[in-house]
Amino acid sequence: MQRRDFFKLSFAASAVALSTSAMGSATRKPRDLQKVSTVAFPEKRPLITYSDRPPLLETPRDAFTRAVTPNDEFFVRWHMPKIPTHTYISTYRINVHGHVNKPLSLSIKNLKENYEQVELTAVMQCGGNSRSAFSPTTSGIQWGSGAMGCAVWKGVRLGDILESAGMQNGASWIGLNGDDKPIMDKMPTFVRELELHEIKDDVIVAYEMNGEDLPYLNGYPVRLIIPGMYADSWVKMLSNITVSKEYKELFFMDTAYRIPDNECECETQDNIILKTKPITTMNVKSYIGYPTSNTQITANSNVLVKGVAFDSGHGIKEVLISLNGGKTWENAELESELSPYAFRVFKFSFRPKAKGKVTIMAKAMNTLGEEQPFAHEIQWNHGGYKYNGIDSVTIEVV
Amino acid sequence: MKILILLTLLTLSSLSADYRVPVKVPSITFPIAVDKDFRVMQRNCQWCHSYGYVLNQGKQSREFWHKSVVKMREVFKAPITKEDEKTVTDYLFKHYGNGKLR
Repeated sequence: MQRRDFFKLSFAASAVALSTSAMGSATRKPRDLQKVSTVAFPEKRPLITYSDRPPLLETPRDAFTRAVTPNDEFFVRWHMPKIPTHTYISTYRINVHGHVNKPLSLSIKNLKENYEQVELTAVMQCGGNSRSAFSPTTSGIQWGSGAMGCAVWKGVRLGDILESAGMQNGASWIGLNGDDKPIMDKMPTFVRELELHEIKDDVIVAYEMNGEDLPYLNGYPVRLIIPGMYADSWVKMLSNITVSKEYKELFFMDTAYRIPDNECECETQDNIILKTKPITTMNVKSYIGYPTSNTQITANSNVLVKGVAFDSGHGIKEVLISLNGGKTWENAELESELSPYAFRVFKFSFRPKAKGKVTIMAKAMNTLGEEQPFAHEIQWNHGGYKYNGIDSVTIEVV
Repeated sequence: MKILILLTLLTLSSLSADYRVPVKVPSITFPIAVDKDFRVMQRNCQWCHSYGYVLNQGKQSREFWHKSVVKMREVFKAPITKEDEKTVTDYLFKHYGNGKLR
């Protein structure tokens, strides 16, 4: 969401009032400090666990001091509870059919041998990441801000696969289906659709994540990677690609993952906007990995604030830190950019002298000049999507 | 004899076909509210998803919970009877409601 100048004056004056008023529509901060489970899931260390069936696992804050999120800390989100294991990998196939000249049935071996291999580093973020910040509470899983991660993905361009099948005249929609299944036969499976023009060179079918096979819970053996876009279309266990002329009406496309189709992408509970559009490109965002909330710091010691910033692929221009509630800001140091789609690590040193609480805020700006708004400036949408409010962590100086 | 060996091999391979490396997703015990209507909720909801899905929606209005239950039947094809629909909605609003009707 873009910060508009006219908000600066009105919100600066009423910032405190809005955030503490009982208006009921002022966005809060996302939930924080959730405990990790005592139970670890396969190939994962213990994570914040919302559900086991299907698995919903969130990465705790302290993982976000590094540009690359290790596989065993990477978040997990499934829609369907029947998630097959693919052991005889030689029999796994990705079917490409529909409006193509030559239907394909690709094995993992085909992918690795018959196409150009591509490696890219990109952030994957759930569209509902940080949803718990919205007030009134929206529908959907009440994530904190850890439903995101950055990995080095290796695979094959979706465009190259489609080209090898040969698109027929009029082909314009690509339906993507994963192998996870619902319990009820008649329930819609998790199908996503992309328009042909959305499939740029960096959209890949990945079989490797951070140098290893995809973890089972992150979609083994292959998943779709769409850098710069929220993860709703990053289909896991990709097994079916259907090329068609027309858009197909589907629950997971037409109802879920949509926001108001207006300039602010917002609405109120009493006035729900009927015209909607899909969530697509990611808003500029940053998150502090260290220190975590309530950390006790000895007075006069050096605090090295560390976190990550990212956007939809234009690149991060700067990350600013405030220690006085946003009145003044200073530049953090940025580590080198792994890719315009990757987490950009920022660092900021300070030495708190006085005892008491200190709130650290981080604000990212991208190369287009888009910057994060304050949490209380984020406007509501019924799905609780695309939150990108300025993050803050309160430490205690002792 | 050959057929016997072949059949044995086929049977064994189909038994072990799904697990090269055993992947077992653990079962979590969720602190779901238990009252007189718990069993009705359980038999309607536990088919498809864990209680975690109920617990992590945030506190919601009666209307929200009712619409959710209806969605489970209409979109996700859960076989929820009209009678159970009311009981489950009441249960969800009682334990996971925000006190508001809408």
